[in-house]
Amino acid sequence: MQSTWREKWRMFWLHGIPLWTTLALMFLLSMPINSAQWGYFKPNVGLICVYYWTLKRQQIFGFFCAFIIGLLMDVYSSSPLGINILLLMLTVSVTLWLAHYFQNASFGAGWFIFCLVGFGATFFKWVMLMLYFGRIINPEEVALNYLSTALFYPLIAAINVYVQKFLPQEGLNE
Amino acid sequence: MVRRSVLLIKTGELKVLLRRLFVALLFLCSLLFILLSKVDNPLVSKIDGTILNIVGPVMQVVEYPARIVHRVYTYLYDISRIYIDNRELRAENKQMLILQNKVRSLEVENQLLSRLLNYIPPAEANFVSVKIIAESGDNFTHILFVYIGNEAVRKGQIVLGDESVIGRVDKVSGKYAKVILVTDINSKIPVVVERTRARGILSGDNTQMPELIFTRSTADIQEGDIIVTSGVGGMFPAGLPIGFVSLIKGNEIRVETMADISRIEYVRIVDYGLTPDEVENLNDLSEGN
Repeated sequence: MQSTWREKWRMFWLHGIPLWTTLALMFLLSMPINSAQWGYFKPNVGLICVYYWTLKRQQIFGFFCAFIIGLLMDVYSSSPLGINILLLMLTVSVTLWLAHYFQNASFGAGWFIFCLVGFGATFFKWVMLMLYFGRIINPEEVALNYLSTALFYPLIAAINVYVQKFLPQEGLNE
Repeated sequence: MVRRSVLLIKTGELKVLLRRLFVALLFLCSLLFILLSKVDNPLVSKIDGTILNIVGPVMQVVEYPARIVHRVYTYLYDISRIYIDNRELRAENKQMLILQNKVRSLEVENQLLSRLLNYIPPAEANFVSVKIIAESGDNFTHILFVYIGNEAVRKGQIVLGDESVIGRVDKVSGKYAKVILVTDINSKIPVVVERTRARGILSGDNTQMPELIFTRSTADIQEGDIIVTSGVGGMFPAGLPIGFVSLIKGNEIRVETMADISRIEYVRIVDYGLTPDEVENLNDLSEGN
């Protein structure tokens, strides 16, 4: 009985690896870097990770994980509560649909598809925030956010590829 | 193989149905959160505060290595610039000495005139210096997270970086507080141009240079003019420097903040002795403006 619980506990932590990795990366990138130049580059790590893990391991990463990540993103980015949750859950929906066609896509293809998904997500967030605040939000900052997210994808994805090795095999989509 | 069923629904189908219901519930929750945020419901502040209290210590831990890396980088950068800086500082020092003498004489003159006019000086402000532990996670908001410990910090208090205004306290939760910067889209500060006393509102729009709006078209404003708080609305005392006019293009006037927000490690939260009720009333007034 004891070993069963221990095993369950172990599996809980192992299955949670994508979520823990995402949270750790989010916190790391919220560090005050004290640089005027690099301060502009604030990639949406949550979006990259949600896309990546939904595409690669949808059995252990889905709407609930996106909800948790979105909730944290709303708090630490001081966005209106719910905006990032909705954004990430929609990203999961779109990625699940895309996974039917591109699950075994090459790294380059995955990046290209992410650029499209990221564009849609950033545009959606921009429109949502403008509707919420009732003001025009400078598109330059939004474009910068999108570009830094798209450019950071290979780095974050490479970390996720490495982390993926530690996941239990039964959750594999392939 | 016999398939089990509950209320004429097969267990497999029931699981799928429950999963779909759960996802729908999560979507509903997110929409509900957005609506509650819009109406400023206390539940949202409570959730926000609780999460901030949970993630605050994590942010603090993560901040340490970042500071070490930054210090090493700054140290090396400073060494590389030591000769140029030294030459510039010598020249600056000469000018400062001239200015210092001028300030002294003006101070004496000011004291004499104040005495003649029976002028009552404003109360001295108290302040606490606090450490920045994290920055906003994206380009859509411009905020800072600070560790306030057990200091009595309240919503609405002014935050100074170096000697100029960089923002105000937006939320306080336990030992942490969120500071909304003057560049954030939600920031609006009544200001005056120091030279001409032309009034306006400094409005953040998520760019690095907030815009000066609601100024008269005939107002005399030039590039380089210093912008200070006007004190209108009561949230900010008058005369606190914020920045200087850096760009005038048609009707668009952009202001560059005096403090280099990206390089600040510590900020000062200033208390002008307003009670929480007064701050709340002033917040309402300011929002009404």
